[in-house]
Amino acid sequence: MAAQPIDRDVKPEWRDALVDLLFQLADDDLLVAFRGSEWLGLAPHVEEDVALSSLAQDEMGHAAMYFGLLESLGLGSRDDLAHLRPVAERRNAIMVELKNGPGTYLEQPHYDWAFTIARAFCYDVMESLRLERLKSSSYVPLRDVARKISGEEKYHLLHHQIWIRRMALDPDAKTRLQAAFHRVAQDAGDLGSTGAHTAILEESGLLPDASGLTRAWQDQVQEFLSLQGLSWTPVRETSTGRLGKHTKDLEDALDTLSEVYRSDPLARW
Amino acid sequence: MSDAISFDVYEVFVQLEPMSAHQHQFNVLASSPEMALELGYENFCRRTGAVSLWVVKRDAIHKWTQDNFSGKERLAKTYRTTEDYKYLKDKWRHYRENPMTQEGPRNGRTAD
Amino acid sequence: MEPTDSLQYQQFMERINRGDRIEAEDWMPDDYRQQLIRLISMHGISEIMGALPEKEWVPKAPTLFRKLAIMAKVQDEMGHGQLLIRVAEDLMAPLGKNREDLMEDLFTGRLKFHNVFHMATPTWADAGVIGWLVDGAAIITQGMSLSCSYGPYARALARIVEEEGFHIQHGESICMELAEGTPVQRQMLQESLERWWPALLMFFGPPEGNQLSTHQQKNLDYKIRSKTNEELRQKFLTKYVPRIRSLGLVIPDPTLSQDPVTKVWQYAQPDWTLFRQIVNNQGPRSQARLGLRQMSYQEGQWVRRVLAMTTPAAV
Repeated sequence: MAAQPIDRDVKPEWRDALVDLLFQLADDDLLVAFRGSEWLGLAPHVEEDVALSSLAQDEMGHAAMYFGLLESLGLGSRDDLAHLRPVAERRNAIMVELKNGPGTYLEQPHYDWAFTIARAFCYDVMESLRLERLKSSSYVPLRDVARKISGEEKYHLLHHQIWIRRMALDPDAKTRLQAAFHRVAQDAGDLGSTGAHTAILEESGLLPDASGLTRAWQDQVQEFLSLQGLSWTPVRETSTGRLGKHTKDLEDALDTLSEVYRSDPLARW
Repeated sequence: MSDAISFDVYEVFVQLEPMSAHQHQFNVLASSPEMALELGYENFCRRTGAVSLWVVKRDAIHKWTQDNFSGKERLAKTYRTTEDYKYLKDKWRHYRENPMTQEGPRNGRTAD
Repeated sequence: MEPTDSLQYQQFMERINRGDRIEAEDWMPDDYRQQLIRLISMHGISEIMGALPEKEWVPKAPTLFRKLAIMAKVQDEMGHGQLLIRVAEDLMAPLGKNREDLMEDLFTGRLKFHNVFHMATPTWADAGVIGWLVDGAAIITQGMSLSCSYGPYARALARIVEEEGFHIQHGESICMELAEGTPVQRQMLQESLERWWPALLMFFGPPEGNQLSTHQQKNLDYKIRSKTNEELRQKFLTKYVPRIRSLGLVIPDPTLSQDPVTKVWQYAQPDWTLFRQIVNNQGPRSQARLGLRQMSYQEGQWVRRVLAMTTPAAV
């Protein structure tokens, strides 16, 4: 049964769930874009460098749209929301906040290409499933955003699938990729979680079938990987990041991405 | 139909002047690249001339078509064009006529 | 090298003097090819190295809009590097060389990159000044090179120059916001200008005086370039000094002045000995940026190997 469309006024008992969901979406994309932007200029192949940046820009654009929805709900300016919220208020999944490699983007990055591809693929699959559901969200502004951005996500998935297929053909690359998927799985438990308000998200139609995300996502990841002769370590759903519990990597990321803005949030930049 | 005649299809690309790109014109039936060049020239350059002519056997072309793009439209990215910076022109004119001092604009910042 | 009195050479020079564009597969004298490889590989590698100083500010850009814009801007620089390296690779192919060799030459110091990309970028204002003034300087050089006799380079530049329009306005927009902003923001901008001024003058290379170098003379003869370093620098000053001053910024050169009649700018010469040190990888950030480039390049070796592998038809 399709939920009643909500144009603007959200029932008070649903509002917290909506805000929490929008923060999950915005924070996920912000961190994916941030990690992508750290690769700029450092990718293994010049043509790939350019392509990767397009994907990161898409994600940053999507984050800006989600923060815009929060702004229009009266939660503050989109830049304040993106730059000033403390770690405990962040709702992104753990997987997307993890560093690209042991170093920093400024010095000795030692970025891990296999990890980057494995993580991006896992995220793309989740995002496409989530967007499919959001395209029929009862909250009309969110539904409209989902319909707009889902086109770009299809390129992202395609891009990473091509990389995985290719890497799976080479024994050395395949070993690296398998190890990367194993690592990604260790921190992927909360990726399909929708946090503290899952029941309301379903009941209100804000995110239909919210509780089925993790399963659908694992099925799809597993199916694609097995076609390439790769295996997936099944994960059990947790809600860590969705409840504001994060790693040191996120703390460092927030320090970096808000360094200039925080120096004077009242100034115009 | 044992003696069916078969040709290859060659797509024809013409560059009209040295700074422009090669542009696809149309295609010809031919049995060799040499013949495709000659036929391509006579068929598609007879009014315009050319500075360069390419023929490519159709089956050497890999493509993305409508099916690959539909449902995957990219969003407008005005931040990466001059579109989002049009306001600058008025600002430059304003400060040319009313230069800032070392402390900044004389009468506060201009409207955007 | 072909004797300059050979028929082939004379016909080639006739084409050059007629204003023909030379294409990759056309016959060309060895030193024409060498001059092009020298110029275009340096230009290409400078774009690639030039991504690094600005890249430092990409994740830190203050707002979501600035984050998007600077990502796009630095991405374009990599894209320009891609175009130019492809042009250089096609020129090097008959010599059995490719982009791997370019990277090796960069790491061993045989291939130089532009002086400006050896400099430090300690504040957000540097991201603005690079877009506004460094790209402003670059577009003056590149605008000249649109008339280059080598077709593939000229066509690559046409694409590049078109995108630089956005880069400059992106930089102007950052600087304008700082100039109109708080005292701290204005101070940040003024200090950045002071930091970059000598590097901007150096960007065009040493003034020729009455003596053109052999390279310079060849490039002019072959119509690879059409203006001298000093002519380009004068153009830059004419365009940008009034704009810089209109923002109330102080150019750190009290002797800077324009002759009201001849319109020629007088300016304090930057330290050209320092310039030579900088382009020989002894600048403030030369070693750090080369190190970063080399590390990411070496660690990406296995990825390029997989990418270059010929595979059975994709599923």
